[in-house]
Amino acid sequence: MRITVKNLSKTFESMDGEVTALQDVSFEVEPGEFYTLLGPSGCGKSTTLRCIAGLENPDGGEIRLGDQVVAAPGISVPVNERPIGMVFQSYAIWPHMTVFNNVAFPLKQGKARVSRAERNKRVMEILSLMQMEDLAHRPAPNLSGGQQQRVALARSLVSGSEILLLDEPLSNLDAKLREDLRMEIKDLTRRLGITAIYVTHDQLEALAMSDRIAVMLNSRIVQEGSPKDLYLKPKTSFVAQFVGQVNFFDGVVQEESAHGLGLVETAQGIWRCSIPAGMAKGAKATLAVRPEGMSLAASGEEQEANILQGRVEKMVFLGETIECQVLAGSRIVTMKVPITEEISEGEEVFLRFAPEACLVLPEESL
Amino acid sequence: MKSISLSHPVIWGRALLLWAWLRNNAMMIVITAIVLFLVLVPVTRLIITSLQIGHPAFPEGWSTDNYVSAFTTPDFYGTLGRTFWIAGLGTFISLTFAVLLAWLVERTDMPLRNLGWAMILIPMAVPNILFAMGWTLLLSPNAGAMNVFLRSGLDLVGIHLAKGPINIYSVGGLIFLDGIRGVTTIFLMVVGCFRMMDPALEEAARVSKASGVGTFFKVTLPALSPAILAAGMYSFILSMESFEAALAVGLPGGVFVLSTLIYFTTRVQAPLDYGLGAVFGVVFMCIMMILLIAYRRAVRHADRFSTITGKGFRPRIISIGKWRYPALCLFILFFLVAIALPFAILLWTSLMPSYRVPSLDVLHLLTLRNFIEVLQDERVYKVLWNTFLLMVVTATATMVFALFVSWIIVRAKGKGKGRGLLDALVFIPLAIPGIVIAMALLMAYLVPPFNYLGLYGTIWILVLGLSVAYLPFSTRLMNGAIVQIHKELEEAAYVSGATTFRTLVHITFPLLFPAFAAGWIWVAVHALRSFSIPLMLAGRNNQVFAVLLWEYWEDTTSLAAAMGVLLIFGLIPLTLLLRRFVTQLSSQQG
Repeated sequence: MRITVKNLSKTFESMDGEVTALQDVSFEVEPGEFYTLLGPSGCGKSTTLRCIAGLENPDGGEIRLGDQVVAAPGISVPVNERPIGMVFQSYAIWPHMTVFNNVAFPLKQGKARVSRAERNKRVMEILSLMQMEDLAHRPAPNLSGGQQQRVALARSLVSGSEILLLDEPLSNLDAKLREDLRMEIKDLTRRLGITAIYVTHDQLEALAMSDRIAVMLNSRIVQEGSPKDLYLKPKTSFVAQFVGQVNFFDGVVQEESAHGLGLVETAQGIWRCSIPAGMAKGAKATLAVRPEGMSLAASGEEQEANILQGRVEKMVFLGETIECQVLAGSRIVTMKVPITEEISEGEEVFLRFAPEACLVLPEESL
Repeated sequence: MKSISLSHPVIWGRALLLWAWLRNNAMMIVITAIVLFLVLVPVTRLIITSLQIGHPAFPEGWSTDNYVSAFTTPDFYGTLGRTFWIAGLGTFISLTFAVLLAWLVERTDMPLRNLGWAMILIPMAVPNILFAMGWTLLLSPNAGAMNVFLRSGLDLVGIHLAKGPINIYSVGGLIFLDGIRGVTTIFLMVVGCFRMMDPALEEAARVSKASGVGTFFKVTLPALSPAILAAGMYSFILSMESFEAALAVGLPGGVFVLSTLIYFTTRVQAPLDYGLGAVFGVVFMCIMMILLIAYRRAVRHADRFSTITGKGFRPRIISIGKWRYPALCLFILFFLVAIALPFAILLWTSLMPSYRVPSLDVLHLLTLRNFIEVLQDERVYKVLWNTFLLMVVTATATMVFALFVSWIIVRAKGKGKGRGLLDALVFIPLAIPGIVIAMALLMAYLVPPFNYLGLYGTIWILVLGLSVAYLPFSTRLMNGAIVQIHKELEEAAYVSGATTFRTLVHITFPLLFPAFAAGWIWVAVHALRSFSIPLMLAGRNNQVFAVLLWEYWEDTTSLAAAMGVLLIFGLIPLTLLLRRFVTQLSSQQG
C-alpha cells in the first residue's frame, strides 16, 4: 500500500511556548518498499511516524494510506481504523497476557475480528513464522527482550495490515541480537510484501535495511535517497557525517574544468576532485573524505591521486581493520588500514585518496 | 486529488470539525457531565437554599435574611471560634505526639519498635464514633469509670467530690479526643520523612559540636518542618470537619462546633431551619476552601526544601540510653488511650445488662444477652444488608468512575481545556465537609426538579454522597497508578485496531487492577466507618450500621456497646486486607 505524506507540519506546546516538531515534511513510500526515517533525537522522525499511525494529529498537511486520506484539515481517521501495524521501542507487550493472547489481541478486540478457529490458526501461523510456537502459552513478561520484540512484531502483522510502522524497535536490544533481528524484519516485510516505515537514529541499521532513507534534521527532511546514494553523494556535511565517519577539510575552489575535475585548495594541500556544477572559482567549499577512501602511499609523489602527509598519532585495533588517527598539519584525519599493514605510532606517513573519493560540499553553517 | 474537506464549503468543514471533536472526545464529555452533575447540583442547591426564605420545597422568595440572622446570632461566632480553637489545639497535641513517636520509632534504639508501629496503626480499625463512645463511658462526670476510680483515689487523700473530676462533655474533652485521633494520620504522613532524611544533615551538626538534643531541635526538626507543617495543616483540616466526637461528646454538653451546629439546625431542632443550615454550610465550605488553598501552597513550597534525596541509605540510629524504656512506655500509653481503654470499656459494657462501673462485685452479672438481643433485632439484618450494599456499590461505583476520570486527566489528548476543568471539578469535594455534602444532597433531592429521581430516603442517596466525598481521594490514587503505565502499552492496543473503550477494558483496567483493588477496599472500609453522611441522610429505609449504632446509643448503652464490638471485629480483617494491598502496591511500584 502506498503511503503519501504531504506538507506535514506540527507544533507542540511546551513550558516555554511552542516547539516546532515538523515543518513541511513530504515524502512518498512505494508499495512494498522499506523506507527509513533517520535522524538524531528530537529531529521529528518519531512524530512523523506517530502522525501516520494516528497517535498524533498533525496541524497541517495531508497523509494518505493507499487511496484513503487519513489526516488532512478537518479529517482525522482514528488510530484503530487505520490499516496499520506498529512496533514500539518499549515492545509494549502486555504483561498480563500470554504470548498467544498478546498476538491474538488484534483479531479479538480489533477491527479485524475473526472466528475463534480462524484466530487460533492465524496466530499459530504467525508465531511459527517467527519460530515462537513453543512459547505461545508463556506469560509475556517471562520472555527475553529479543523474544518480546518478536512477539510485538507478530502482533503487528497478525491482522494482515499492509503497512508496518517501526519506532526504534531495536534500540533496547544488545548488539548481536540487533543484527539478527535486523535481517529478520527485513526478510519478513519482503516476504509478506509489506510497506514499512522504520524510524531509527542508528545509521548502520538504516543503511543495512532500507530501500530508501530520509535523513531528518530540525523537523525537516534534509535528504532522501537509497543508502548508497546517501553514503556516496551526501548533499550536506550533516548528512555526510550522520551516515558514516568522514574527514572534513575547508577549502576554496581554485580551478574548474570542463570534464568535472577541478582543483581545490585546502590548508593541507591542493587536491583534484570533482566539482559540482554551479561552483565557480573562488567559492568556499567543504571537502569530505571517508576513512576507507584513504590508503597509505609509498611516497609523496603520485600521478593519479591526492596526497596528504602526516604522522600517526594513535592506532585502534578494531578486528577487521586498524583505525589510525593521523595528524596532518594542525588536524587529525581518521583513516582505516588493513591489519596486515606494518605501521606504528609516531611514524611519518603519506595518505593517498582518489579524486572520486573526495566529495565537494557547499560550505554551510552547521 | 484534493482532500475531501477542502472540496466542501467552509460551513461543512466547521460542522465536520465539531463532529470529529465530539466523536473523539465523547468519553470526556460524558464523564465531565456526570462530575458536573455530582458536584455542582448539590453545591448550587445549597447556595440557592441559603438565599431563599421558607422551606426549600416552597420558597417564599429571594433574600439575604438567612445570612443576616446567621451573622447576628451571637452563638454563631462562638461556634466558629470554638471550631478553630478545638481543631487547632487538637492538631497541636496530635502533631507533638506524632512527631515524637515517629522519631522514636524510626531514628532511635527504642526496644520493640515494630510493636510500636503496630500500636500506632491499630487505632485505624476503630471508627471515630466508637472511640468517642468509649471515652464518654470512661469520663462522663457522674458514672464514668475513670472518674469513679479517680474519685475513690481522691477520697483516700481526703478530697470528696460528688462528680468529676474530669468532664468529657466539654471543650477540653473534645480537644483531647481530637488530639488523640489525629496522631495516626500525622504519624503516617511524617514517618517516611524521618526514614528518608539524609543523615549527613545531622552528622554535620554533630561534627560541629552540637549536642544530641540541640541537633534534634536545631537541625532535624527545621529540616523536616515543611513536611511536618503540611501534615499538621492536613490534620487541622480533617479536625475542622470532624463530626463524630463533636456529636457524641459535644451535643450532650452543649458544646457546638460547625458540623454539629449544621446537624442540629437541619435534623434535630424544631422547627428545622434549612435556610440557616445552608448558610452555615456555605460559610463552612468557604473556610475549608481557603484552608485547602493554603494547604496546597504550603505543600507546593515544601518541595523546595529537598531534605529527602533519592539516595538509599540507612538512617542513623540515635542511642537514647536510659530513655529507651520510658519511650516504650509512651507508646504503650498512646495505645491505651487510643484504643485499649475505650475498647475495653465497650467490651465490658457489652457484657453487662446495663452500664456498670467495672469492678469485681459485678462480675457475676456478665452476660451475652446484649449480643443475643442485637442479633435478634430484625432491624439489624436490614441494616446489615444496607451496609453491605452501601460498601459494595459505593466502592465499585467510585472506583470505576475514578478510573475513567483519572484516565482522561492523565491520558486524554487534545488541547486539554476540558481536562483542566475535570481536574478542578474532582478536587472540589475535598473542600466540602461530609456534613455539608450530606445537607446539600438532602436539599437537592428533596425538592424539584431532582426529587423526581426518587433518591431521597433511599440507600442510593448515601451512595451518591459517599461517592462525591471519596472522589478526590480515589482519582488521586488512580492518577498515580495510571502515570505508572507506559503509554505505549495503550497505543499498541489502538494500532491493533481496538477502540478507546475496548483498550480501557482489556488493557488499561487489568494493568491497573492492584491500585483499583486497594482503592476499592479503602472506599469500602471508609463507607463502613462513615457516619456523618449516613446519619444526615438517614430515613426509615436506608439506615446503615453506624446509624443504628447511634440510635442504640441514645437508647440503650449496653446494646450500642455490643454492636460497636461487633463492628470492630468486622473492621479488623478489612483493615488488615487494605494494608496488605497497599504494601503490595508500593512494593510493586518500587
